[in-house]
Amino acid sequence: MRLLLESLSAQRQQWRHGYDLMKETGLSSGTLYPLLMRMTDQGLVEAEWHEPAQPGRPPRHAYRLTAAGFALALEMPGEQGPLTHREALA
Amino acid sequence: MRAIVARALMALTACCLDEGRREWARAMQAEFGAAVEDGKPLRFACGCLAAAARELVTRAEGRFVLTSYALALGLMLPMAALQIGCAVLGLPYLYAGHGGLGGALVAGGAQEALMRGVYQAAVPSLSLLLLLVGIGHLRIAWAMLERDWSGVTRMGALTLAAAATLILFMAALFIDGSQALLQTGIVLVELATVSLVARRNADLARLQAARSP
Repeated sequence: MRLLLESLSAQRQQWRHGYDLMKETGLSSGTLYPLLMRMTDQGLVEAEWHEPAQPGRPPRHAYRLTAAGFALALEMPGEQGPLTHREALA
Repeated sequence: MRAIVARALMALTACCLDEGRREWARAMQAEFGAAVEDGKPLRFACGCLAAAARELVTRAEGRFVLTSYALALGLMLPMAALQIGCAVLGLPYLYAGHGGLGGALVAGGAQEALMRGVYQAAVPSLSLLLLLVGIGHLRIAWAMLERDWSGVTRMGALTLAAAATLILFMAALFIDGSQALLQTGIVLVELATVSLVARRNADLARLQAARSP
């Protein structure tokens, strides 16, 4: 969760797409989406549908931190070593 | 080929996620296009399926979806196969020697003189009723997997009506009603289970509505 919080808090006001977050954090879709779901349930992340940039594409789900999420990101300890899969989900 | 497998995995992912996570299934599907462009559709799809599997076991709604699948595949489909098989084979368990309709009509058989006319008149209707009960089971299983709970209830009531009619006719026509009673018991237990599952779904939907802002 730390990686995701860091990534989202770096550009707090900007809406981010799932695949871009995967590439930026290095998390797999199997790790990222459960995190996003749980963080949205907890009110740390807000999500909304955005119209596609290219015609003919489906709308995309975009995410950004809520105030509570940003506060949590500020409380998190700074840069640490690479995370294991279990730590990434913690 | 990899893209086809990836698309199939994405479809499976959507099936695994419950109503409360339906929006997330759409979100994953929308990002799938980006994964295809990036040349990693299979990896993305496998991850999404793993995420959906995790949701299945960690959330009450997910466990409910698993229960529905287990009930449909483990109980409703075998019962449908049994009922349709019995209907197609001419109610084999009803006659002496389990010879089915053919056995009952064997010329010179002990029961032939007395029962031939009755069986000839009744068995097609009974087979049709049994076939309807079997098809009803199939339709219930399908509606359960589609999470169409009003359809499950409607088909359950129709299947129960067909089963009750079948049992009444069997009780009137056949001396040995043990098989009819056994089938009645099974159908009742089965439909009671389906009814409990439908009620549990309604409870979960209420819980979910209460949780939503």
